[in-house]
Amino acid sequence: MDTFIQQLINGLSLGSVYALIAVGYSLVYSVLLFSNFAHGGFLVIGGYICYFVLRSGGANIWVASIAALIGAGVSAIVVERLAYRPIRERTPITLYMLIASMGMSIVIENIFVVTVGGRFRALPPVIPTDPVNFFGLATTSAFDILSLVTAVVFLAGLQLFLVKTKWGLAIRAASYNLKTAGLMGVNVNRLISIVFFVAGLLAGVGGIFLSVRYTLYPQLGMITTKAFVAAVIGGLGSLPGAVVGSLILGVAEMLTAGFISSQFRDLVVFGILIITLIIRPTGLFGKSVGEKV
Amino acid sequence: MEGYAGGIITLLAINCIAALGVSLFTGFTGVFTLGHAGYMAIGAYTAAILTVEYGVHYVLAIIAGGILAMVFAYLIGIPTLKLVGDYYAIASLGLGEAIRLIIENWNSVTRGARGYPGIEGFTTMPVAIGFLLIMTIGMFFIVYSSYGRAFKACRDDYVAASLLGFNTAHYRVLSLAISGFYCGVSGALLAGFMSFIQPVMFDMAKSTELVSIVVFGGLGSMSGCLLGTTILTLVTELFRPISQYRMLVYGLVLVLVMVLRPEGIMGTSELTASYIKGLFKKKKKTDTAEEGAR
Repeated sequence: MDTFIQQLINGLSLGSVYALIAVGYSLVYSVLLFSNFAHGGFLVIGGYICYFVLRSGGANIWVASIAALIGAGVSAIVVERLAYRPIRERTPITLYMLIASMGMSIVIENIFVVTVGGRFRALPPVIPTDPVNFFGLATTSAFDILSLVTAVVFLAGLQLFLVKTKWGLAIRAASYNLKTAGLMGVNVNRLISIVFFVAGLLAGVGGIFLSVRYTLYPQLGMITTKAFVAAVIGGLGSLPGAVVGSLILGVAEMLTAGFISSQFRDLVVFGILIITLIIRPTGLFGKSVGEKV
Repeated sequence: MEGYAGGIITLLAINCIAALGVSLFTGFTGVFTLGHAGYMAIGAYTAAILTVEYGVHYVLAIIAGGILAMVFAYLIGIPTLKLVGDYYAIASLGLGEAIRLIIENWNSVTRGARGYPGIEGFTTMPVAIGFLLIMTIGMFFIVYSSYGRAFKACRDDYVAASLLGFNTAHYRVLSLAISGFYCGVSGALLAGFMSFIQPVMFDMAKSTELVSIVVFGGLGSMSGCLLGTTILTLVTELFRPISQYRMLVYGLVLVLVMVLRPEGIMGTSELTASYIKGLFKKKKKTDTAEEGAR
């Protein structure tokens, strides 16, 4: 029972980090209708900025994480400007943006390989990882609880931004129909920049937590594959779906690791994906594709 | 030609065969896939196990690898090809990774993550080129048959195609099976070329590489896909001396082509004698048109 609760908390914490990434991915999909494979790159950028600020500018985690979040967000805007906007303005076919985003993810990954090298780096111990007794039921690490809380705070912040602000309203309108939103007087290019900034920022948060969990290396962005899977399970373009999908995946992964074997965790993840898609082809909360078009 | 250059040509031929398969499925049937490395893995492991443990002749082993990959593709295609757009792409990514993970964990048969050593190096340059020639000709026959037209109909407008009485689901599965066969053969040849295979060789990066090659060359153009494979394989090979910049250049080439010429180098046209003639003619025509406008 102890192990179960422990793995459940671990799973929820991992799932909530996936949720931060999956939500950004879903946000971009809901507006532009394409899967941004460079999303993992923003996560790596955030992780490295945090690492280098911590290393050079003393050990102030707040400064480092704010720099990392802004850096990741800005790099997302830059990627959109350089690679996606020219394609978007020329053709409505999203496949080309998909390929460009694959190229972009290779570029970002290898910029780090070339400049800072491919070795594994551990973040300085600024985020507490000591064991915590969880109401006498199980022992878990402070890091797991911290990442869970942070993810909840950021997701709640995103929800407030989408519901309460004018730009949030514009994003919600654009997720129904980008063209009509443009006709209604929304500055589409600025809207897309904002969407990418928010997505990049959330990926930056995820990047910091993932680099504490798995150490930091240029290919860390590959982990977004699982966040993509989570977003698809929840239904592409649906934010609550992305969160639910991420939590399901995180818990399933950790329970598999705890009770069966950690070699099977990826297999379980992809198994869940395929079964979900066969039963519900548009994910748990997905709108049918016909409705969107 | 032996040694390094011969090796590159052999590798090129192997990549071309896989690209032809993906080109049929993505370029001609219009379904975007991220999991074809899985079919290559099936082909590679089948050929390796058949030749090493059962002493089967390599030609038979290669064909068996292709056929097994085809059967798998067919069985996988029936339930999953109901999905559309990005959903199928992600599902195929999951399936491809699942195949790789099963191979990685099935220690008794595939020797797990450490890889499968000691395969006889049966893929020499003539073998690879021979297979490429036969399979290219086969592919052109498929594309220009009634099946090829049905595939293109599914790509261009599957609603209209199904209204005209095409069983679009059936044609998609068929297209996937054929492309699975091509990838299986390519994987089997790769096993014979490297003499050593490892599950990591067939991961998601390989799948995305296959798709990028096809889009780079031009969706819906077989010769474009061969040309794209040649260019991208050469880019990665020629930059090997400065190996840490190799993938950076590869990624940049991909992004630049998508930004500057999103339809790929060849678009939908085939590289034939009349196409090359047309290139020059078109230039002349626009010249005269400009003069006329003046």
